[in-house]
Amino acid sequence: MKIEIKNLKHKYPSGGEALRGINTAFEGSDPIAIIGQNGAGKTTFAKHLNGLLRPTEGQILIDGESIHEHTTAYWSKYIGYVFQNPDNQLFLETVRKEFEFGPKQLGVPRHEINDRIDFVSELVGLKHRLSTHPFDLNATEKKFCTIGSILMMDPKVIILDEPTCGQDVEGNQRLTEIITYLKNNDRLCITITHDMKFVVRNFDQIVVMAKGQILMSGSKNLVFSDTKTLLESYVTPPPITRVGQALGLKDISFSKEEFIDHFTRRLHQR
Amino acid sequence: METIDNSIAVLVRNINPITKLLIVFCLGIGCLIYPLPFVGYGILCLLVILGILIGQGKQVLKLIAGFGIPVTLMLLFIQGLYSPKNITMIADFGFAQMGLEGTMYALKISSTLLIFLAAFYLMLQTTKNSETVAALTQSGLNTKIGYLILASLNVVPQMQRKVKVIQEAQESRGVEISGSFIQRAKAFLPLIGPVVLSSLTDAQERGMTLEIRGFGINGDKPTSYIKVETTSLDIVLRIIAICFLISSLIPRLL
Ligand SMILES: Nc1ncnc2c1ncn2[C@@H]1O[C@H](COP(=O)(O)OP(=O)(O)OP(=O)(O)O)[C@@H](O)[C@H]1O
Ligand SMILES: [Mg+2]
Repeated sequence: MKIEIKNLKHKYPSGGEALRGINTAFEGSDPIAIIGQNGAGKTTFAKHLNGLLRPTEGQILIDGESIHEHTTAYWSKYIGYVFQNPDNQLFLETVRKEFEFGPKQLGVPRHEINDRIDFVSELVGLKHRLSTHPFDLNATEKKFCTIGSILMMDPKVIILDEPTCGQDVEGNQRLTEIITYLKNNDRLCITITHDMKFVVRNFDQIVVMAKGQILMSGSKNLVFSDTKTLLESYVTPPPITRVGQALGLKDISFSKEEFIDHFTRRLHQR
Repeated sequence: METIDNSIAVLVRNINPITKLLIVFCLGIGCLIYPLPFVGYGILCLLVILGILIGQGKQVLKLIAGFGIPVTLMLLFIQGLYSPKNITMIADFGFAQMGLEGTMYALKISSTLLIFLAAFYLMLQTTKNSETVAALTQSGLNTKIGYLILASLNVVPQMQRKVKVIQEAQESRGVEISGSFIQRAKAFLPLIGPVVLSSLTDAQERGMTLEIRGFGINGDKPTSYIKVETTSLDIVLRIIAICFLISSLIPRLL
């Protein structure tokens, strides 16, 4: 599945220009992270990819077909969007009903829905919470409930808007499992996040947004080496990366192990 | 409330809400009292022109076409053909005859309804709810009743926002919301429960915050943050509105 975005602009009726000409394309199944300061336009951009928001100017092509051709309901088969705020997404009485809702709409047969529930509830860790009211879930569980309800629809592309919000170590570990699962099953996962540690641990492709535009995009080595552009987008690399950069190490480090490795190598060079 | 910034819109927005309420009231009642419906339609035209001038023309016309035309036709059908007051017949449809008196009556009722509707709509579009309530409390209305009015006026847009949010959630899970009426109704009905419920919990929470900030204290009149002024334009408009109401009485008295 290929998503092409051409000169996308969006203006909210009540506000200024939230997107100011975006050109990019997403393809394959290597997970992608979108980063950028608050108000950069990340959510606005993501909501265009399944047609929830329509471009003021420019166009979006999904496998060559303009997004204008169909409704959001149609695109939801192919592109799933997990809302930034779970309270904006959950509207049913139990977790199980939330999970069943999407595939039912798509006409997935009953037995297949049941199989998916078994699998997805295990993956998102809500196996024992299926009959709970979503309002009674804690923040982490709520987020996983929204992710699960979209995974249940099995879209080709899945967009996670700030999945790390209010997440603990265990939650982040679970997110990593979900992202790995999607990659291994040829599903493209696009994740919007502020958590740079989470980014370097899970993503190799990064898109940096600022003020309604894409400042740069590419591999994480490339993006986090360009400190000047990063500064412009108010993104700070993870602490260990900054320590390495401050020491002037030749290679960029994203984990303690990498850092120790690069650091000892330099000591030996002396 | 959309903001359109031509000078007329600014002028209308700055009129005291009480003046606007008075104008809405006088126009509506005046037309009801005035014996012929044509005054009403003339005023309706003026309201539409005013709407266009402040950039709300399309919405006002939509309101008139969507609500006014069906209601007028229905009234014409019932009153024109079957009113017991009908004496002078003006048309014969075979199955029934159309009477002048009933027709006039239908036109008058519909014009009054439309004037109330259009004028009230224009008022809401050009006034912040908070200003209306501030103006009312300034002229002596109890603050608590004022808050009650404000809260109820605000519930509608709040619910609209919430419905929109849930609709987005449904759309992105495969619900067609732009389909036929039945399709939309089917998607919408299950929403009413959660939307009303969450509005209630919102209201409860707001109640608690208000209590904490001393809203329940009796006796002291709180200072309003919003100042509403009464200008000489307001006085002139109020006099004109009342004159209109009185003038509509004259033909009745003669
Ligand atoms: N419904 C709306 N109406 C008007 N303006 C909006 C609306 N939603 C967002 N905006 C504005 O558009 C801009 C981009 O917002 P957006 O929510 O896309 O940013 P974001 O990158 O997702 O931020 P965050 O990291 O806080 O989620 C902001 O300036 C915001 O104020
Ligand atoms: Mg956002």
